Amino acid sequence: MDIKKQYFDLIKGKIEEAYENQSSVLRCIAQMFGSCMEKQGVVQLFGVRHGEEFVNELNYRAGGIAPFHALRLKDLVLNEMIDQKDIDDDSIYNDVSVADKFAKFYDLDDRDMYCLVSFYGNEPLLIELAKRAKEKGQKVVGVVNKKSYDACGGTLLEYCDAWLDMGAQEPDIALKLGDTKIGQISSTVSNVMAQMITAELYKYFIDQGKEAPVLLSANVKGADVHNNSLTDPYGRRVR
Amino acid sequence: MIDAKRFKDEIETLLDQLYDSQCDNIEAAAKAIKECIEKQGVVHVFGSGHSVGLGIDIKNRVGALVPIHIMEMSDFVTKGGVPVEVFMDKKDIFERKQGVASRLYELYDIKPQDVFIVISNSGINGIVIDIADLAKKNGHKVIIITSMKHTLAEGPRHPSGKKLYEFGDIVIDNCGPHGDALLETEGVAKVCSVSSICNNCIAQAMAARVIELLKEDGFELPVLNGDKAHDEALIKKYEGRA
Repeated sequence: MDIKKQYFDLIKGKIEEAYENQSSVLRCIAQMFGSCMEKQGVVQLFGVRHGEEFVNELNYRAGGIAPFHALRLKDLVLNEMIDQKDIDDDSIYNDVSVADKFAKFYDLDDRDMYCLVSFYGNEPLLIELAKRAKEKGQKVVGVVNKKSYDACGGTLLEYCDAWLDMGAQEPDIALKLGDTKIGQISSTVSNVMAQMITAELYKYFIDQGKEAPVLLSANVKGADVHNNSLTDPYGRRVR
Repeated sequence: MIDAKRFKDEIETLLDQLYDSQCDNIEAAAKAIKECIEKQGVVHVFGSGHSVGLGIDIKNRVGALVPIHIMEMSDFVTKGGVPVEVFMDKKDIFERKQGVASRLYELYDIKPQDVFIVISNSGINGIVIDIADLAKKNGHKVIIITSMKHTLAEGPRHPSGKKLYEFGDIVIDNCGPHGDALLETEGVAKVCSVSSICNNCIAQAMAARVIELLKEDGFELPVLNGDKAHDEALIKKYEGRA
């Protein structure tokens, strides 16, 4: 069969699997996010390596819900608080002091909660963020690839109130051509789960009889005014 | 009613439409990339905003091609001398600017055989159009990934009056709706974006086909396989380019 078709079929199967096995957790996470947002909290997102794709899927996204905020290493690089080379060689994920830099650079609030995304769930910086949130009594949601998490002895989930599994193999190999390993599925499936959370979060607001703060694509006429009206009340806490 | 199940059902239908309508365009893109890699070329990937996800998804992992280079927006600041205040200005949005793209383009070691993939859902903003235009004027093959529904529904923002897709040798439509969000609500706004999901599927299917074509030609595969010595040697081979 055409290898392109094989990839599309594989992804559709994985989407079905994610829904069947995890829809109740997805709903529960959406309720946690909604309840945090109702109290003027923001969901702080942090993703390790490819985990950033999940972060991008919820943060300031067209058709997404407004009160999310991304903790980005790139922001610290742009503001000369860390070096690009430490991101390039991944050593930054071992540096727990980056948590202090995030706290200094962003306007973080005790009403916020955290959603932390990592294939392995074992990086010291990630664990530090989870630990600090728990110490403050803030809720923490984790997204990991459970097979990889188990294989490498991850600890993120010990701090999490709920968690999702990306549902990939360890390592994440989508297809094989003889002995050649090709492609990945974890980020695409994670993106689908992020959008399922968005759908359930929208429903949460509607079920509460409230208007959902839905962002428009910035590339649609008039969107800037609408989107700013949703994010301005939060000042620097979102965007 | 909007819920996870409705999104699941609608995204699966959309992925079917995407494969059925774009299979030939993805195949053409895979062939162009295969030819580029066989000539020791590199694929430069540029997308602003959320479109950057496509490049991230097919790089730096076991099973991924090495000769892929992501042109990062942040390079404008870290390598291109643009002040961070200008780059982050929320009133004068940087990705909409015209005439600054060459500052990014000139930062990289670009060879004649290289191919460009330029991604933008709306295909109307200054920088993506200027990058595609520069690549084309320099004789490179340009692959565009965009939402045809979105780009045709919006007026142009670029002074040329053109949209991104008009600069493509190969155009792949990600089949996403205008405004990117898929699910109609009872209100004005729609919810749940699809471009990142569709773009990832396009990129992954395309990369898989590139590797298959290279293998058929007996070309030594520039693909990470998890073996440290193999992967380091491969990364070294493309150092400074990818």
